Amino acid sequence: MGTDKYILQIEELSKSYDKKIFALKDFSYKLESGKICAVVGESGSGKSTLLKLIAGLERSDQGQINMGDQILCNDQIHLSPQKRSVGLVFQDFALFPHLRVKENIAFGLAPGSHSKIEQMLKAVRLEGYEDRFPSELSGGQEQRVAIARSLVREPDLLLLDEPFSNLDTNLKSELRHEIKRLIKDLGLSMIFITHDIYDAMDIADEIIFLKEGKIVRQSAITDIFKAVKDKYVKENMEELKRSAETILSMIPK
Amino acid sequence: MRSRWRHIKRDISPWSLLMVTMGILLGIPLFSIGINLFDGVGDMWNHILEYFLLEYISNSVYLLLGTGIICSILGVSTAWIVSKYDFKYRKLISWLLYMPLAIPSYIVAYTYVGLFGNGGSLILVLQQLGFELQKIEFMNTPGLIWVLSISLYPYVYASLRAMFSNYPHALRDAAYLLGANENKYFFKVALPMAYPALIASLFLVFMEVLNDYGAAKYFGINTFTTGIFRTWTALEDLSSAIYLSAILLVLVFALMRLNRWMRSRRSYAFKIKEISDKGDRRIKLEGRRKYVAYFILSIPILFGLVLPLGQLMHWASLNMEALYSSELWEVAFQSVTLASTAAILILLFALVLLYLSRWNYIKSLNFFSRIPAIGYVLPGAIIGIGIIRSSQEIINFFQDQLGLEVGYLFYGSSFILVYAYIFRFMAVAYNPIEASSLKLGKGLSESSYLLGANRWRTMLEIDFPLIKPVILSTFLLVFIDLMKELPLTLILKPYNLNTLALNAYAYADDERLVEAAWPALLLVAMIGLLMIILNRRTKMNSN
Repeated sequence: MGTDKYILQIEELSKSYDKKIFALKDFSYKLESGKICAVVGESGSGKSTLLKLIAGLERSDQGQINMGDQILCNDQIHLSPQKRSVGLVFQDFALFPHLRVKENIAFGLAPGSHSKIEQMLKAVRLEGYEDRFPSELSGGQEQRVAIARSLVREPDLLLLDEPFSNLDTNLKSELRHEIKRLIKDLGLSMIFITHDIYDAMDIADEIIFLKEGKIVRQSAITDIFKAVKDKYVKENMEELKRSAETILSMIPK
Repeated sequence: MRSRWRHIKRDISPWSLLMVTMGILLGIPLFSIGINLFDGVGDMWNHILEYFLLEYISNSVYLLLGTGIICSILGVSTAWIVSKYDFKYRKLISWLLYMPLAIPSYIVAYTYVGLFGNGGSLILVLQQLGFELQKIEFMNTPGLIWVLSISLYPYVYASLRAMFSNYPHALRDAAYLLGANENKYFFKVALPMAYPALIASLFLVFMEVLNDYGAAKYFGINTFTTGIFRTWTALEDLSSAIYLSAILLVLVFALMRLNRWMRSRRSYAFKIKEISDKGDRRIKLEGRRKYVAYFILSIPILFGLVLPLGQLMHWASLNMEALYSSELWEVAFQSVTLASTAAILILLFALVLLYLSRWNYIKSLNFFSRIPAIGYVLPGAIIGIGIIRSSQEIINFFQDQLGLEVGYLFYGSSFILVYAYIFRFMAVAYNPIEASSLKLGKGLSESSYLLGANRWRTMLEIDFPLIKPVILSTFLLVFIDLMKELPLTLILKPYNLNTLALNAYAYADDERLVEAAWPALLLVAMIGLLMIILNRRTKMNSN
C-alpha cells in the first residue's frame, strides 16, 4: 500500500441517520500517503460520521471508500473494522478502565509482544506508567495511551476525533508536536477532527472545511488564506488573522 | 429501491435473523390474544357483560385512582423527609421504608384480617385499651386500596428518594435567595421537577395493581384479573377470558401512552453532581417538627412492615411444629430452584437479545428485540391465558399433523411456566443491563473492534467485566420478583410443583391462616434478606 500515491480515496459517500437529514452528502476526497489532514467544521457538520465510516463503525448509504487498492465499503461490501488497517483515537480516549496501561496497549497485539509494548511506551514517553489503571492517569497521559494503543498495531491510517479538545493550552501544544513527530517518524497518514483552526494550522498538511455534510473548502495549509468564499471559512480565517495581529502588536518593536 | 435491497443483502446477518426469531417466539402469548380475538366471544360473554364487566372496570379504576393517590402521598412525603432532613435513626428509617416491598400484597391482605377482623390481634389490644371495637372492616374496595398502597408505595419512595437526593444544592440556595421558604421550594420547585420520576413509579404501581390476584381474590373484590381467572376456571370459557384480557390490554396500553405523554411533557434536565447531598447539608429537625416527621415516617413502616410481620410471627408461633416438617423445606427448595433456574435463563435471554440487537445492522428490526420487554406491563393473567391458548394450538398441531403427543411437555413439566416467566420478567433484566451498557457507551467496544478483537472477545473481555456487577444485581432483582410471583404460577404450574407463594396463598384461601404463616414468613425472610444484599450491592456499584 505504501507505493500508492493515495492512501485513502472516498467517492460520493453519503450517510443519513433518519433518511431525511444527511450527516454526509456526496462526499469525495483523496488523502496522499504520509500526509496529515485536518477536518474542521461546526457541530453536526458530519466530521465524526466521516471518521466512523472510514473506520467501519458505521455503514454508508451510498458511495465507496478505498484504501490503496482495497475496497473498504460500497453498496455491496462492508469490510469489518477488524480487517481495516485503521486506528482511531476517540475524543474521550475510550481506554478500557479495567485494564492497566500495558494491557490496554497489548490488547490489539498477539500474546508475547513485550518488546513492542516497551518501544511504544518509550515513544509516547510513558515509561514507568505501564502498571497504572486509566483512572490513575492525567488527561494528557490518557491520550498518549490511546495513541500508543492505536499505533502499536501499525495501521496505515490513523484517525483522531477531536484529540485536543479535553486538554489545557500548554498540554495541547506539547501533544500536537509529539503526535506530528510520531506520525512523520512512522511514515503514517492521519486524519484528525478539530473545532480549533489553530490545531489544524499547527500540524496539518491540508485542511478541509465541512458544512452540512459537504466540503466547502479544501486546500493545502500553505494556501489557506487564498480566495475564501464561504462565510464559515471566512469567519474562521478572519479570527485567525485578528489573533495573529494582536499577538504581533504585543511583541516589543 | 435496488440500492436498498443491496444494503439489506450487505447488512443482514445470522444475528439479525436469530433476533427476529427470538422476538417472535417470546412474543407468542401476546400475539395469541390478538389472533384468538377473531374466534369470537364464548358462551358466557353475555352473562359477563350483563353482570360483571362494569364492576370489573369500575373496581379497577377505583383501585388505580386510590392506590395512585395514597402511594403518591406516602412515597413523596417519606422520600422528601429522609432526603432533605437530618434526625436520629434517619439511615435505619430510610432503609426500613423500602422493606414493605418484601411482603407480597396478598400476604399483607391475610395479616390484615388477622389484625383487624373479628377477634383480631390488634382489635384485642385496642379493646384492652378501652376502645369498644369489634373489628375494622378491610375486606372491601377501600381496604384493598389501603393494602395495595401500603405494599406498593416503596416504588414511589425509591424513585423519589433517588431524585430528591440528587438535586444540586444550588437549586435550593437559588430558591431561598429568591425569597422562597421551605414549603414554596417544595411545592414550586422540588416536587414539579420530580414529576417524571413520580409518573414513572406510579406506572409501576398501576401495573402491579392490575396484576394483583391474591389480595383481590381474598377480599372478594371483582377486578379484571380475578374476572379473567373466574371466567376461565369457574365458567370454563377461555374465549371470553381472552376478550376480558384484550380489554385489560387496552387499559394497560392506554396507561402506557399516558405515562409516556405525561413524562415527555415534563422532562427536565439538570446536571447531577456525583455526590450532591452530603449529610451536613441536610436540615436538622428539632422540636415539634421532628415529632411530626417521626409520625409521618412511622405510618408506612408500622402498617406495611411491623404489623403484618408481627401477625405472621404470632401465627407462626402457634404452629411451631410446621417449622420442623419436611414439607415446608421441600416447598422452599422447589421455590428457590424454580426461581434461580428461571432467573438465570431470563438473564441469559436478556443478554442474548441485547447483543443480537447490537450486532444487527438493520435498525428497523431492533423492534423485535423489544417485544419480550412488553411482558412486564402485562398482568400475569393475560400472559397465562395467552400461553394456555397458544400451547393448546401447538399441542393440537403436533397431534393432528405429525401424530406426536407433546401435551406432557407443556402441562407435565415447568417448561411453559418458565417460558411465561421469561416473557413476564424479561424487562426486569433487559432494562438495567441495557442501561448499564449504554452508560458504558459504544466507544469501548468500537475501540476493541478497531484493535482487531472480534465480537466474542469484545463481549467477554471488555463488556462483561464492566457490566458484571449490574448482572449480579439484576439476577437478585429478577429472583425476588420470581419468588413473589403468584398469578402466572397459579395458572401454569404443573400439578406436582409447589412454591412458598402458592403454599401461603392456598392455605390462606382455605382460611387456614395459621398454617399459611410459615411459608409466608419464610418467603418474606428470603426476600428481605435478598433486598438487604441488593441494597448493599447497589451502594457498592454506585461507589
